[in-house]
Amino acid sequence: MSIQVLRIAALFYAAAATLYVLYFARPRHAALATTGQWLLGAAFLIHAASIGLGCKEYGGAEFFSLRGGLVTIAWLAAGAYLVLQRLYRAPTVGAFIVPLILVVIVPALFLTGPNLPESLSEKVRRPVLTLHIVSALLGVAIFAIAFVVAIMYLLQEREVKGKHFGALFSRLPSLDSLDKLNQRLVRAGFVVFSVALVLGTLVARHVWKAAWEWDPQQVSSLVVWGLYGALVQLRHTGWHGRRYASLTIFGFVLVIGSMVALNVIPGATRHGGSFQ
Amino acid sequence: MSSSPDFFLVGLSHKSAPVAVREKVALSGDDLKAALLDLRNAQGVREALVVSTCNRVEVYVYADGLEPGRRFFLDRTAAADGHLYERAGREAVRHLFRVAASLDSMVVGEPQILGQVKEAYGVASSAESAGTFVSRLCNRAFAAAKRVRSETDIAKGAGSVSQVAVELVEKIFGDLKGRSVLLVGAGKMGALSAKALRDLGCDRILVANRSPERARSLALEVGGQAEPWETLESLLALADVVIVSTGAPNYVVTRDLAAHVMKARRQRSVCFIDLAVPRNVDPALSELPNVYAYDIDDLQKVVRETHQARAEEAIRAEAIVEAEVMGFFHERETRAALPVLAALRRRAEEIARSEAERTLAHVGELLDEKGKRSVEAMAQAIVNKLLHGPTARLKEAAASGDSDLPGAAAELFGVEVESPDRVRAPRPEVASAREQNQ
Repeated sequence: MSIQVLRIAALFYAAAATLYVLYFARPRHAALATTGQWLLGAAFLIHAASIGLGCKEYGGAEFFSLRGGLVTIAWLAAGAYLVLQRLYRAPTVGAFIVPLILVVIVPALFLTGPNLPESLSEKVRRPVLTLHIVSALLGVAIFAIAFVVAIMYLLQEREVKGKHFGALFSRLPSLDSLDKLNQRLVRAGFVVFSVALVLGTLVARHVWKAAWEWDPQQVSSLVVWGLYGALVQLRHTGWHGRRYASLTIFGFVLVIGSMVALNVIPGATRHGGSFQ
Repeated sequence: MSSSPDFFLVGLSHKSAPVAVREKVALSGDDLKAALLDLRNAQGVREALVVSTCNRVEVYVYADGLEPGRRFFLDRTAAADGHLYERAGREAVRHLFRVAASLDSMVVGEPQILGQVKEAYGVASSAESAGTFVSRLCNRAFAAAKRVRSETDIAKGAGSVSQVAVELVEKIFGDLKGRSVLLVGAGKMGALSAKALRDLGCDRILVANRSPERARSLALEVGGQAEPWETLESLLALADVVIVSTGAPNYVVTRDLAAHVMKARRQRSVCFIDLAVPRNVDPALSELPNVYAYDIDDLQKVVRETHQARAEEAIRAEAIVEAEVMGFFHERETRAALPVLAALRRRAEEIARSEAERTLAHVGELLDEKGKRSVEAMAQAIVNKLLHGPTARLKEAAASGDSDLPGAAAELFGVEVESPDRVRAPRPEVASAREQNQ
């Protein structure tokens, strides 16, 4: 059932992505972006319903699979972008982030639900775990938007420095606004990710009986946390522009790369599905 | 009734006359109003409009001839002779439309001219030299210009070097509020760009020049503050945009200097715009992170591309203007034929009604309701059939520009018609033109 609803949500995501891209190509028609935003809002709500149904069907087990994690990150990224749009009005970012969300969702439509039918042990069913999962995924979702904004920065910088004053030049926002937006997102993502790390430690202490286990997931998370923390800190020493954008991109690749790797390699980590 | 008036244009522009001649005839404010009154009072002139900008002075008259327009120029300066162009009728209308749509401008697609034509119309209205004809004409010209702007990309892109500079700076810094500009050297284009940036919110303009007097006078001109030449390095550490246009034969800003300055400014982005020939800014500056450097060739390349793109758009714009000119005449001629048609129809229906009444008075009692209605319908049908041909012919003639037929029809059928152009508009739509201007 949840997957049928997700299919409907995917249709809305696709429509929103189309409108945002059209708006990017024809910036004179502001109505395209507005309509795109409404469709994205609808997709977000339908997706929320799908996640709710999924929780009922699988008892929360799907959050322990890579598929469930990625789909939830896509959902949170949509929500975070809607909030961002309200705060800073960045309709051109939509032309990049919404297609990315779609790219994550579409494969999930053809994969069956989580292959973790066994119910979760009562030991791990605690609110702190739920909060850990939500904050971790939200942090990654915010990093995803920062990643997209950083790519836009690099594209625009190439136009501005390379003296091609073509279509991208006139359509992409100014370097300064992209740089500032990137900085804000990195900061927000870092705060949320920090919360996730603290909560994760609490869960680990309860389930693994130790806060720090040198588990690969813990190590990679700490590296990511340190990287984004450094980005937040470097800002105060005047770091910005190209290098800042490149590091943001690197950080996101690291997050997603480690997430995929640790889920794909069997027994790599005790984190997530393979707990006990 | 004298021969019917026509629309004439006599004018000179950047295409036909040097500035020395243009400045002798350019008018504004009260002088313009007085000139319009003179024109209005000239023999045979019904309405007049004068468009006077720094690139053109054009006198449009709705009159019996264009002589008053010629006199306007020749009375002011004999030098105008030989630089004037003259247009009549449809050609004159098309010219005004093209001017308003910025197709005749020095920089095709520049946005100011429409406002200037609107202003000219406003002055003509307040001087009461713009009547029905000029009002209708101007409103149509504004509509045409608006269509051109919204339906083509003629106004897109940066049309001048200083505009390109501004666009670049905006793409780097976004909001220009709180940004500072450093003007190095005294080039004219540099000052123009600095002014454009100040208008967009750059609130601090610093001026450095080897000659302190030049620096002071330039600072006064662009509304900035003069700084001693010796402090150039610390000024570079301060400014976000640096416009360089000195006469120096070598690089004033070298790569080493810029690298040094970047440290002092803690890597904050900086944009160098080098308008000097030979160049004053080392092009290798671009290799430094967060340093953006452009020379005059870079900017002119964009200007050329814009002009090329606009030239292509201009073809589409000309088609719109042509359609609007045709629309204007079509509307006007249909309007000219309408009073005759209306009078004709009124007269015929009167006859039909009274004849039907007379018939019914005689034989009405022999007929039932249906019969009575049939008689009325028959009278109406005869009128319609009879008038169908003439109506179509009149409309056709009006649309194709034949203005004799409506008069002939009026004469033939013996109906009185008032000429529409003789009726003065109670109050031309100046107010709305002003609003659009803002």
